[in-house]
Amino acid sequence: MHNPVDELMERWARGMARRLSRRHFLRNLGGLMFGAAALPLLPVARGAPAPAGGAADPGDPQSCEYWRHCAIDGFLCGCCGGSAHSCPPGTEASAVTWVGTCHNPGDGHDYIVSYNDCCGKTECGRCLCNRNEDDKPLYMPFKSNDYNWCVASKAGIAYHCSTARIVGVAK
Amino acid sequence: MRSNNNSRRLRTAAVALLLGACGGTAAAQLPIEAGGVEQLPAHPGAHWVWVNDFSFFALPDGKAFLVDGDAGRMLGLLSTGYSFAALVIPHDAAVIYSPETYFSRGTRGIRTDVVTLYDPVHLAPLGEIRIPPKRASIMAMIAGAVLTDDDRFLLIYNYTPAQSVTVVDTRTRKFAGEIETAGCALVYPTGPRSFFSICGDGSLLQVALTDQGGARSRTRTRELFDGLKDPLTEKPVRIGDTWLFASFEGTMYPLKSTPAGIELQPTWPLFSAAELAQHWRTGGLQHLALQRSSGRLFAIVHRGGTQTHKDPGADVWVWDLASHRKVQQISARNKVASIQVTQDDKPLLFGCSFESNRLDVYDAGSGKYLRSVEGLGQTPGLLVTP
Repeated sequence: MHNPVDELMERWARGMARRLSRRHFLRNLGGLMFGAAALPLLPVARGAPAPAGGAADPGDPQSCEYWRHCAIDGFLCGCCGGSAHSCPPGTEASAVTWVGTCHNPGDGHDYIVSYNDCCGKTECGRCLCNRNEDDKPLYMPFKSNDYNWCVASKAGIAYHCSTARIVGVAK
Repeated sequence: MRSNNNSRRLRTAAVALLLGACGGTAAAQLPIEAGGVEQLPAHPGAHWVWVNDFSFFALPDGKAFLVDGDAGRMLGLLSTGYSFAALVIPHDAAVIYSPETYFSRGTRGIRTDVVTLYDPVHLAPLGEIRIPPKRASIMAMIAGAVLTDDDRFLLIYNYTPAQSVTVVDTRTRKFAGEIETAGCALVYPTGPRSFFSICGDGSLLQVALTDQGGARSRTRTRELFDGLKDPLTEKPVRIGDTWLFASFEGTMYPLKSTPAGIELQPTWPLFSAAELAQHWRTGGLQHLALQRSSGRLFAIVHRGGTQTHKDPGADVWVWDLASHRKVQQISARNKVASIQVTQDDKPLLFGCSFESNRLDVYDAGSGKYLRSVEGLGQTPGLLVTP
């Protein structure tokens, strides 16, 4: 079930946990957060419509069974005024998040999917979906969907919904 | 206007007089009732349980329902704020601690984290202790907030996403400090002045506390398990000096606290080879429970793949801790994600699921279903016996 990306992340996390102080942790994390925070500025994340789907990206983004949702836990933003990769109006994309690796049956590739939460309002309450492929316990935070990832948002920890954004190809 | 009011009062008085006269001749008149507010006995019942509702569809509205398992009756409620997990109750049950989070505008504004102290007789706040606004907002876990073994310090897991533990002194009722636990999560007490956290590399961070609640020492164990191949669920039970963790694939890891530190005792399998071949595994939110005097371990089980480690189950199996043998299989009336068992000599087994808002009550000895209590919030999570 493992793949090189998972193992790379695990080695990084193990090494960091072993070697580095909290100050180092925060500095490194700051870089990660900056990287994540910059992503919502990309055009694709700005109120873009839901993906057209089609043969290359099959399935319904409002369905729990949609391939990108293999490790999601929460309300699907596509049902809440956002999309699989954008937040609903008036919310803020979380600066940090957890990632999963999901298989796209449309093109046969495994993709790294970032499950950014959208934050700052009460729960959307629609299309609740919990799937746990390769989900890990809370002591592996960046592989765990049991954290509220609004934790580092300017909007605070109020959780609204979850996106499933492609951030890379795993192979 | 005044004359109208006066005439209305006169008419009302006349009607009341007439009704009173008629009532005087009736045989079965109900007594006039005085209003009031209920209060609970000083000591909780042996079969009471707190059903903690993390209220996933309305996270600002966490709550805890107190239920009498014998009567199948709700006794009262505490309103416990945003991203609530569970109440924490000391051995004497003389006070209830509740780590809580609030925002000044409901879901926005200034965040305030507190430990609220509740009077268990009146279920009313006694006071609160301000803590740093760092309390981890996570799926409800017992190891999110615990007391040291002597109930002196309340330890609360923080995730900002920097990891640390907030220490609250229950004697002075003040925030005592914060202990960094970089790379390690949650809190498992191992004595009056010690706890451990689980680290991402499969080791444990052992922390010894001073009498003021600071860190006296911090040491890491060797890697005790492989979190990639077969992670330990972070939802163990404790008997004496040993924490019992179940791995995703059903291996029990006893972690024993010794003067030399925490030691991994011989592991043992929950499932036979035949059961593993049929994909039996544990699952749920609070998937283990322990009846300490009888040494019986209860686990929620189901058949499913590796990705079903948090799924509710329709069966509860029971193992004898001394022999490690499965001794009983209980078919749950409804699927359960959380179980708890009372510690008296006629124990009850409680079960609930975040997929419904029902508490089911069983005889923990025979496994016989007894009753259900419906309508307990939205997404009941952890079950805590006072």
